Amino acid sequence: MDCNLQFILGLLCLLVVLISNPASGFKSEEFRKCNQAPFCKEARARKPGTSKAHVSEISLKDGSVRAKLLSFSETDEPAGALILLLTVYREGILRIRVKEENEPPSGKRRFEVPDVLVTGLEDRRLWIQRVSTENGVTVFYLAAGHEVVLQHSPFQIHVRKGSEQLVSFNSKGLFHFEQLRQKREGENWEETFRSHTDSRPHGPQSVSFDVSFHKAEHVYGIPEHATRLALKPTRGTEEYSEPYRLFNLDVFEYLEESPFGLYGSIPFMLSHNQDRTTGFFWLNAAEMLIDVLAPGWDKEVDNEEKTAASSIDTQWITESGPLDAFLFVGPTPKDVVKQYTSVTGTTTIPQYFATAYHQCRWNYKDEADVKHVDSKFDEFDIPYDVIWLDIEHTDGKKYFTWDPILFPNPEEMQKKIASKGRHMVTIVDPHIKRDDGYWVHKEATEEGYYVKDVQGRDYDGWCWPGSSSYLDMVNPAIRSWWADKFSLSSYKGSTPILYIWNDMNEPSVFNGPEASMPRDNLHYGGVENRDIHNAYGYYFHMASAEGLLRRGDANDRPFVLSRAFFAGTQRVGPVWTGDNTADWDHLRASVPMILTLGLTGIAFTGADVGGFFGNPDSELLTRWYQLGAFYPFFRAHAHLDTKRREPWLFGEPYTSLIRNAIDTRYALLPYYYTLFKEASTTGVPVMRPLWMEFPKDASTYAMDDEFMVGQGLLVRGIYAEGISVESVYLPGDEPWYHFETGAEYAGGHHYKMPVTLESILVFQKSGTIIPRKDRHRRSSTQTEKDPFTLVVALNTAKQAEGELYIDDGKSYDFEKGAFIHRKFIFSKGRLTSSSLHGQDNSRKGFSSSSLVDRIIILGLKPEESIGKHRALVESVNQKIDVERGPTILRRGAALNAVVIRMPNVAIADDWSIQLL
Amino acid sequence: MAWNSSSSGRRLLDCEDRKCVGASWALVSAIFTVGSLLALASPIAATPDLKGIDPKDLQYYESSIIWCRDKSKSFPRERLNDNFCDCRDGTDEPGTSACPESKFYCSNIGHRPETLFSSRVNDGICDCCDGSDEYDGKIKCSNTCWEAGKKSREKLEKKLATFKEGLKLRTKDVDYARHKRKEQQEELSTLKKDEKNLKDVVKKLKVHLDAIEKAEKEEELKRAKAEQERQAKQNASIGNTNASVTETPTEVRPEDFEVEISDVQNSEDSQVEEKEAGSHEEGLETVVQSEGESENLESLSKEELGKLVASRWTGEKVEHEGRFGENSDNSHHVMEETDEAVDDSSNNLHETGEEFENNENADWVNEDRENEDNEEEEEEEEEEDNYEKTYVPSEHTEVERIRREFSEANSKLTSLQRKISDLELKLKQDFGKDGEFFSFYDQCFEMKLNKYLYKICPYKQASQNENHATSRLGTWDGFKDDYKVMVFSNGDKCWNGPDRSLKVRLRCGLKNEVLSVEEPSRCEYVAELTTPASCLESKLLALQQQQRNAESQLHEEL
Repeated sequence: MDCNLQFILGLLCLLVVLISNPASGFKSEEFRKCNQAPFCKEARARKPGTSKAHVSEISLKDGSVRAKLLSFSETDEPAGALILLLTVYREGILRIRVKEENEPPSGKRRFEVPDVLVTGLEDRRLWIQRVSTENGVTVFYLAAGHEVVLQHSPFQIHVRKGSEQLVSFNSKGLFHFEQLRQKREGENWEETFRSHTDSRPHGPQSVSFDVSFHKAEHVYGIPEHATRLALKPTRGTEEYSEPYRLFNLDVFEYLEESPFGLYGSIPFMLSHNQDRTTGFFWLNAAEMLIDVLAPGWDKEVDNEEKTAASSIDTQWITESGPLDAFLFVGPTPKDVVKQYTSVTGTTTIPQYFATAYHQCRWNYKDEADVKHVDSKFDEFDIPYDVIWLDIEHTDGKKYFTWDPILFPNPEEMQKKIASKGRHMVTIVDPHIKRDDGYWVHKEATEEGYYVKDVQGRDYDGWCWPGSSSYLDMVNPAIRSWWADKFSLSSYKGSTPILYIWNDMNEPSVFNGPEASMPRDNLHYGGVENRDIHNAYGYYFHMASAEGLLRRGDANDRPFVLSRAFFAGTQRVGPVWTGDNTADWDHLRASVPMILTLGLTGIAFTGADVGGFFGNPDSELLTRWYQLGAFYPFFRAHAHLDTKRREPWLFGEPYTSLIRNAIDTRYALLPYYYTLFKEASTTGVPVMRPLWMEFPKDASTYAMDDEFMVGQGLLVRGIYAEGISVESVYLPGDEPWYHFETGAEYAGGHHYKMPVTLESILVFQKSGTIIPRKDRHRRSSTQTEKDPFTLVVALNTAKQAEGELYIDDGKSYDFEKGAFIHRKFIFSKGRLTSSSLHGQDNSRKGFSSSSLVDRIIILGLKPEESIGKHRALVESVNQKIDVERGPTILRRGAALNAVVIRMPNVAIADDWSIQLL
Repeated sequence: MAWNSSSSGRRLLDCEDRKCVGASWALVSAIFTVGSLLALASPIAATPDLKGIDPKDLQYYESSIIWCRDKSKSFPRERLNDNFCDCRDGTDEPGTSACPESKFYCSNIGHRPETLFSSRVNDGICDCCDGSDEYDGKIKCSNTCWEAGKKSREKLEKKLATFKEGLKLRTKDVDYARHKRKEQQEELSTLKKDEKNLKDVVKKLKVHLDAIEKAEKEEELKRAKAEQERQAKQNASIGNTNASVTETPTEVRPEDFEVEISDVQNSEDSQVEEKEAGSHEEGLETVVQSEGESENLESLSKEELGKLVASRWTGEKVEHEGRFGENSDNSHHVMEETDEAVDDSSNNLHETGEEFENNENADWVNEDRENEDNEEEEEEEEEEDNYEKTYVPSEHTEVERIRREFSEANSKLTSLQRKISDLELKLKQDFGKDGEFFSFYDQCFEMKLNKYLYKICPYKQASQNENHATSRLGTWDGFKDDYKVMVFSNGDKCWNGPDRSLKVRLRCGLKNEVLSVEEPSRCEYVAELTTPASCLESKLLALQQQQRNAESQLHEEL
């Protein structure tokens, strides 16, 4: 009997605690769908032409067009008028703003998202001098040949060039603006989703409208979703899905293809066709849903303005917040990105080390583990620049602390890392452990720095440390206080080579609605989380970066990686695509995700190499390194429960293949750095869709399995197992050169290319010159004085050009001119280097002793060049050798190129070399 | 720092004197391909830059035209170490960083020579103890070879001492093992003889007993029949309506018991099944079933919800209703406790079972099942026996006596057979080339590390214990890597990860001692154990050779 009893007890124990299935995968039902959100459901159900708003009292005020919008919907109760404000900025930017005319009775104003628009924007405003009004339309000048047409009734805005309409606002009559008002008697504004109740104290305040991109072939942008680059329609004749959602959420095991909103939001969309790229940006940080409507979506509706078959209509819906939107006229893809980033800022040029390879894992367990991993990289001669520590390095998930057993001597550890020119990154998340012994919590509580719940108490949520509160980063004073936490004196155990990683800043709240913060939580100035939700992570990121800036006396460029992002994040630091999965589909999905981030301003981005969840096999891991080496941000990362997968753990040939991939990135660092310089001045991303470089080639518009790195490299990843032949499209009418063999391929063709495990498909575009540093080093730091290789890829006219940008790789001295910027031109058998820097840079505080010791010329036949040719370094009148050589210095590499041997000209100087 | 030609010449000569067994492929191929030319190589006019060249390879670089080792091209001698990579394989730049594939040799006089990747040359970090890898003036490296060499020689000496001493211990162990093994083999054959005799006894008794029991059964049947008839009569007199009621006590009650037993068995089964299912699905050990989770999430408290969502990333168990007390940050805690509860009960069962064997009524133990591995079934059987035992009638003293004799003999046989199988199991194990691991069979090695106690029992299993919680790190899976590693595999399942496993690296040492336990990858443990068993003579000889080499090199350098 005793035994029976024991068994039964055992059984009971099991039943009580048991062990359910793993919570495997994405849980769709835990996230709110459009039809579960009344504002979205209603907006989506609205028929074209519902809006009856009309414009009156048009006037010019301070150089802007001001008008009243009246009676915008038949069904709505009469409300006050709205004010429409149209403003024009240089280079073809129209700003559209709509506000309530009167202060809403509740006293609540719509929250205008601060610190997103660049400070100099107002200086670039064009004063509208005059408007012409006739036949019910008002017309005014926008930019070179472009005009804005404001139609009075019904209210519509069009941008046109000559007779060609480019973009229209409300041409489908879906404009709807719920004005803030007082609660009526008996009215209940509460909404519930699953177990969470949203008190909605300010009631309905949604805004929605339509935007039409005329003759557009595709639309792009509005990250972050795991979707194709060219956005598929969400609604229309055939298609129907959830709208693209912009609501920053921590999504467990996200799907590789879904319109579902992920960690960050940028409400910026681009459209493209052969002649024209345009863009539309809505500065609003509330939950937003965007429908891309398939052509013919409105054919059932009797509407005078049927969508032309070649237009793409879109519907934009937010729960709250202002209508403050920007329209960009292009005309080229680069123009639109430039226009957008002139409004929201460009990517700051990163520190040089940050563009190299990062080694991360949840978690490098202790100091011995860090030391071991570091030494293994050296043992296998694999370079890396940064080793990362995830949450387990802290003392009980209290950020700015170190686990006393695992990391007793963090400074000593960093010193060792630093002695090899390497850096370290630790994680700092926005949830603060509610632990009275934790000084951050203590101060934040005393100062009232936490986000408040609807009752006005410090919001108490759940995250890694357990019970946690969240700093109110909307408040600049709190951001400043937070920034000081990163000083070397405050962050004990930190050293100047330590940089930061912000995770979970959507914010992730494990027990909140949709695993985030309740919408009625209160921020600085009584603003609800509903209104700033999508920008919360951005402010947190901003405050952390500010901390590093202060730590380095404002002359050490911060490096802070963030998971959440918003428009403007590019100015602050890099982002990555969050918790992806180690499978081929996620490898494939990383390309459109990164391309989309680049198109919407964030140039410094990457995906976790290897895939965060799960265990990649050796082939997938190798392919991921080969692709990831071309991501702008190149970091390997892995979940706590995965098997270790540092580059040497899979044995040969994989270790060598992964080393080759990483080496390739290191060789290309000068090129990447130059591209970051370009991104920082023009906004044009490092990693680009093909159509950005070949905007006329319609076959590239939906392509997202291959991409460009700058103007010079085309990369086609391998996204499946055991591939031996892969197709690749080489656009344009000029030839391409295989990156490793130097073999030449004519442009404008689809190829079936043999593929081995050795490499993915990479080509250099003819007509470009790419600077490299081919020597192997432990980290990028040691490459500083190494000589350059220039790879000159000749086009059919036997010409090529390229650029190189160098500075100290760390400070802001480049802003004072302390940099070298060279232009290389090859023409008529002569390669010249000239400065793109206005003045003599030797007096500006930066120089380089590096030489050019190898010039590889692709597109000359070696057999015709060798023997006959020598080259003359003209400045010193010295003849040097020209030989046949490989395109890359690797065992077995084909000798397909012509190599100018040891010109040894200084990279900082003007020079010319003539092939004889 | 650079080589001068006279010293390199001497080095080359020395090398030839000692027949240079390690002559590289490069050298060999050079001799073949460049052939006689090389042999006649004329003295070099200009001072060649011979930095970074292994003395063994100097000859390769002596001619005025040198071939890249991969034969892709040749280069004139002035291009040797001219800081431009001509050979893809790095042949022409042993002393610079120009070729990614080249290697830099530093002689490290006073210590031992080293070969570096070219990436280390002039990178501003001192790698060779003689500092020869940094010669471009960026950084000054002091020569630390003498101290480093001294340290390493001392270390080698210590190691040698350990090996010598360890080897003695090992030899003793091996002798003891040989002796003991022989003894136990003899014991085994004695036991087997005994077994045979005892089996005969049991057989005879069984025949006797069967006859008696057969008679008994017939008697029983008769009685039962009479009883039935009696009852039938009774029933008839009471009437049909009550038939079912009256049937209950006689017919259903035994079934009741059976049901109860089978219930217990089923629940055992299902318990096991559920456990397996849970681990199969990489059990996120939460209270809530996945399917129903969505609904259940709604009813959770805020804290429970937070923990549950967190657990998706971490796989930590979420405890319901605080039943197991405080929140544990060890994800396996609860599971382990449960495991132990089950273990305990099975242990108890075992004890009960053993008592049984010594019990005079143990004759119901089914000998066929005695050796079955399946514990579960054994437990069930014993469970049943336990129940039935109380129903054994013992009336006739004659029957009882024979039965007791039979039972005693049987029980003796059982214990004998158990001894035999234990001994057989032991003797068929792999105890190493010389039986040096024989004594490991009956030992466990332990190490306390923070809150955990690690227990390594060779030939059996390994575990990680924390208070009352135990995780099985694996069961014995033999030696690997030429007896340098002991492997334990198929331990408890990890959430989202592999089954736990442990590799124990063996090192020569004077004591059997666990030096470290680590978990370099989730749930894949690695331990280090010193033991005299790993103090091999071959290794000692190699170390001695190493020492002689170091000494002669040092001598030469001085």
